[in-house]
Amino acid sequence: MRGTLVIAGKELRGFFASPTFYVMLFLITLIMSYIYPIQLTLFNQMLMSYVMQPGMPQQQLNIHYGLFLRLLSYLNLMLIFIVPALTMKLIAEEKKMRTFDLLLTSPVKSVDIVLGKYLAALGAILGIMGVAFLYPLVTASFATVNWAPLVISFIGIFLVAGVYAAMDLFCSSLTESALVAYVMSVMMNVSIWFIGLSAEVVDSQKARQVFEHLSLNTHLAGLVEGTVRTSGLVFLLSLVILFIFLAERVVESSRWRA
Amino acid sequence: MIEVRDLTKDYGPHRAIHALNFTVKKGDVVGFLGPNGAGKSTTMKIITGFMAPTSGTARIAGFDVFESPLEVKKRIGYLPETPPVYTDMYVRDYLRYVARLKGMEKNRIEKSIDRAVEKTSLGDVQKRLIGHLSKGFRQRVGIAQAIVSDPDVLVLDEPTVGLDPKQMHEIRELIRELRGQHTIILSTHILPEVQATCERAIIINKGRIVAEDSIANLATLEKGRSRLFVRLRREVGDLGAVLSDIDGVMGVESGSSNREWRVNLRGNEDTVDAVSSRLVSQGYGLLEFSPSKVDLEDVFLKLTYGQSRGGEA
Repeated sequence: MRGTLVIAGKELRGFFASPTFYVMLFLITLIMSYIYPIQLTLFNQMLMSYVMQPGMPQQQLNIHYGLFLRLLSYLNLMLIFIVPALTMKLIAEEKKMRTFDLLLTSPVKSVDIVLGKYLAALGAILGIMGVAFLYPLVTASFATVNWAPLVISFIGIFLVAGVYAAMDLFCSSLTESALVAYVMSVMMNVSIWFIGLSAEVVDSQKARQVFEHLSLNTHLAGLVEGTVRTSGLVFLLSLVILFIFLAERVVESSRWRA
Repeated sequence: MIEVRDLTKDYGPHRAIHALNFTVKKGDVVGFLGPNGAGKSTTMKIITGFMAPTSGTARIAGFDVFESPLEVKKRIGYLPETPPVYTDMYVRDYLRYVARLKGMEKNRIEKSIDRAVEKTSLGDVQKRLIGHLSKGFRQRVGIAQAIVSDPDVLVLDEPTVGLDPKQMHEIRELIRELRGQHTIILSTHILPEVQATCERAIIINKGRIVAEDSIANLATLEKGRSRLFVRLRREVGDLGAVLSDIDGVMGVESGSSNREWRVNLRGNEDTVDAVSSRLVSQGYGLLEFSPSKVDLEDVFLKLTYGQSRGGEA
């Protein structure tokens, strides 16, 4: 546990003390500051035209659906590419620079190493989420915002980013090259969205249920609408635990593999 | 302090070390000597708990390296071949990180960083980025990293490789200073390094220990043998024939020309006397006549390559 915190602290300082991370944050705000006002204007226009289109689904008139969820889906899209950039170096670079020797000859367990790095990645993701949360926060100054579903949907995206981080950390542990780790990570992040597609084409009822359960969409959908389902939480957390475990095995294996 | 029993390591079909056995007592400075690829680094990696052996055991301060790796790692400072430094960290922050990683108590950390910085003379650069330091300084940061947690055992894997002669000298001085406070194992393929810093040497070749003794004993391993370097004014066809009847002359090798010869002797001063008077009485014009002991380097070469130094002067 001590080792976990020492490593997490060092890596977190590495993120928040490095200009690269702030350049990344700056670029994220640049994109979001471009998209958000456009979405806001579109939402505004829709409300105006509602008078002339009475048949429109009521749901779309809610600011949570009409505005914030769109912001979150853009954030998710960006996280698919940004989380790998945060995690790619965490283990691969240590191997390449031979600093891994220091970690492996220090009195810390492999699980401390992996958990420490994972916590640091979560901290950096939290920073990105914090920046994204500024947009609804400012919106609250001129519109009525229902906070509970908003916060829950942010937690939902955070959990999904946590799954990305776990998968990407695992990718980083597999290789010495940060670039290879990055490409592998992006592929993994993108592909977990595609697994659910099979549910549309399989014939068997059982198979469809399995694929639906594996689909990240199913589980995220509830959260972003503001409903917390334990099955969703369990699914996301078990993905995190699975990949942390795999990464721990890879790190541990370097102790006995020649 | 360090006890190694029947340590064996295989890399696939290749056996890197064969059943090594040695013991290092507390406070000893031991040189681990051998040509490249002899299995030095492999042994060090196993002792530090970095790697598991195929069979055999290693114990540090009574703790088995595999049964209680965390206890062992708390007591070891390790400098691998490449110093494990983060180029994007400041020297002092890096040392603090290592001290915390090694599980030092909070209130002792700053003091021990000061000590490590002072020992390795890093005072002037402690607020600089490691990435901006020269190779010699990085190596010193690597040593500082190994001693910062005040470990009982220091394992240094080729600490002076790639440094210039002045830096090498400084690192050796530093190791000499550390003597007495830590038990030190030092691996190297550079002989003078062992002579300059260690009390005892373990010579390893092709994964086996070929000699293990104090430096003084190793140097006189072939007691009573000596060698004479002779330079003459006149060319001599076969000096061996001239000297062959003197008791104690083992053999003669010619040098760069027929004017320079090396004479291998066994015996005492009488033999040397006999050789010199023979050369003078024959009227060869003796210009130079210098005795040299068989030194550690000969022993080393003989043990590791199975040959004595012959070709070069």
